[in-house]
Amino acid sequence: MSPIMEFRNVNFAHSTRAIFEDLSLSVTESETVALIGPNGVGKTTLLRLAAGLLRPSSGEIRVAGRALSDWNRRELSCCVALVPQYLQVPFAFRVEEIVAQGRVPYSGFFGGLGSDDLEVVRSAMEAVDILHMRHRVFAELSGGERQRVKIAIGLAQQPKLMLLDEPTQHLDLGRQIELMALLKKLVGRGITIVAAVHDLALARENCSSAILLTPGAPAIKGSVKEVLHPELLERAFSVDQPDLERYLAAEPPARNITPGPEQIDESLVSLRKKREQEHRERLRHPGDDARCRGTARDVRHGRGWDRD
Amino acid sequence: MLLLLATITSVGFGAVRFSFAEVWRAALHPAASGDTGVILFSLRLPRVLAAGLAGAGLSATGVLFQGLFRNPLADPFVLGASGGAALGGAVAIFLVPSLSFAGIGTVELLAFIGSLLAMVIVWNLSKVGGNFAMENMLLAGFAIGTMLNAATAALELRQETTNSGMRILAAWLRGEVTAPSWSQLCFVAVVELVALAAALPLARQLNALALSEEYAAQLGVRVERLKILVVVTGSILTALAVSLGGLIGFVGLLVPHFLRLILGPDHFRLLPAAALSGAVFLIVADTIARTAFAPSEIPVGMLTAFLGGPAFLYLLNRRQRSV
Repeated sequence: MSPIMEFRNVNFAHSTRAIFEDLSLSVTESETVALIGPNGVGKTTLLRLAAGLLRPSSGEIRVAGRALSDWNRRELSCCVALVPQYLQVPFAFRVEEIVAQGRVPYSGFFGGLGSDDLEVVRSAMEAVDILHMRHRVFAELSGGERQRVKIAIGLAQQPKLMLLDEPTQHLDLGRQIELMALLKKLVGRGITIVAAVHDLALARENCSSAILLTPGAPAIKGSVKEVLHPELLERAFSVDQPDLERYLAAEPPARNITPGPEQIDESLVSLRKKREQEHRERLRHPGDDARCRGTARDVRHGRGWDRD
Repeated sequence: MLLLLATITSVGFGAVRFSFAEVWRAALHPAASGDTGVILFSLRLPRVLAAGLAGAGLSATGVLFQGLFRNPLADPFVLGASGGAALGGAVAIFLVPSLSFAGIGTVELLAFIGSLLAMVIVWNLSKVGGNFAMENMLLAGFAIGTMLNAATAALELRQETTNSGMRILAAWLRGEVTAPSWSQLCFVAVVELVALAAALPLARQLNALALSEEYAAQLGVRVERLKILVVVTGSILTALAVSLGGLIGFVGLLVPHFLRLILGPDHFRLLPAAALSGAVFLIVADTIARTAFAPSEIPVGMLTAFLGGPAFLYLLNRRQRSV
């Protein structure tokens, strides 16, 4: 298996603060890699470096066996898709129009979409199950739906490598599980996944390997089991071992009051079913729902996108 | 089609009124039409065409700047680009009065430079940590616009300016379309068509920019180059519009807004539609402005302010409250 993404002795600094010093790591094809580490350690920066949006001050980054400096910008966008953490869209763009932007690197100077492009856009929307909402206005979608639209843009780029920045952030449990299942499906299509995640349990369940970034120490790459080792995590996140062990414990402490693992699984399943039921209801009455969500969002975000 | 209809009808309206049929006849037989022909072709038609070109330029600039700032409130007048163009043009009239009436470019060139400088300043002031803050954009645009208008007004008061120069400056400050010479009209029309054609591929990329700068870069768009080209093209269009009609506000806000309701937000479709509708809109508005209160004429800028001001406030309010 050849490496799809490789960092060789990469140095990178934001103005004066060094983020990476002599960073070396490699990701092989069709891996699912969890990128973990404390806040501010440079997870997003690493993804942006790999996507060619930032240039390392020294060292070399290779994608599909070729140094990034040798890639044409558009060709690179056809090979590597970055799914950023946030997507907020001014104007009433529809889901379909948003996903179609994934074809931009394939289009010529005047940038029209051919019938094959439309087919790719369609199948990308199908893959993440948003085909039924393709005519809805993006700004009115819920968090989980937006997340899926973002992944559909990435899919429309037909990449070999997809870099996701905290794809499960702000999603409820059900949506998180759905999203990870979706990512697994993508790996089945031959796409290598590197995803920055905070939820270690989710990473352990769904990823084949992990990269751990520790402030002031070299990055560690290995299987999930190796990397999610309490000692390593303790150092990276600067937490006490007992806290960590409790967090990482495979089963919750057996007490009479707390439900056993089977019960949890069961309640999860029923919760999931209930959510799906609600979702179907929502689809049947889109009007009511849009109104409710609109007000809730207003309260949460205040002035909305223009503040960004 | 609508544009042609608006042009013919508008030419007919005025202190001396002609019917649609009379205008049509005169257009077909220019030599035989006598006084009618003189009024129509030397006085009215240039003014109507000037209004059309100015409206097209302002609306297209609105679409470009709104895509660039990712904000439907971005209008060349609101951002101070028009003010910059007016000052640049005033400097041209003031410093090189002999050249400025030859109609070939001095006024437009300096107006372009003024507009470009105003945009660069507003651009840098409205940036906060890599993103645009709407408050800063509006306030910077307001401050720059007001300063530049004051400077233009000061130039207008200088005794040295020639009479015709003073008249042009006064008309600019009021937002009044003046009947230009045919040579000036041809020059503006040609440059404007080229600028609009050049803006089309940019409009397509503005759709990717709507996602965010990072997203657009990730999709292979050269963001820095795109931003510069949009600012330059928008400044050219603004300068041309201002050289014909001066400070006409809110056209670049009203027209794209209503087109978005009909056509959706795709900039590539919006841009040509905005140019055409902007032309029709300003031709009609200018015709109303010069006939509705006959025998006196009001500047068309006043009319667009009456229409556009409330629309601006409505959009601002909606922006503040929701997505």
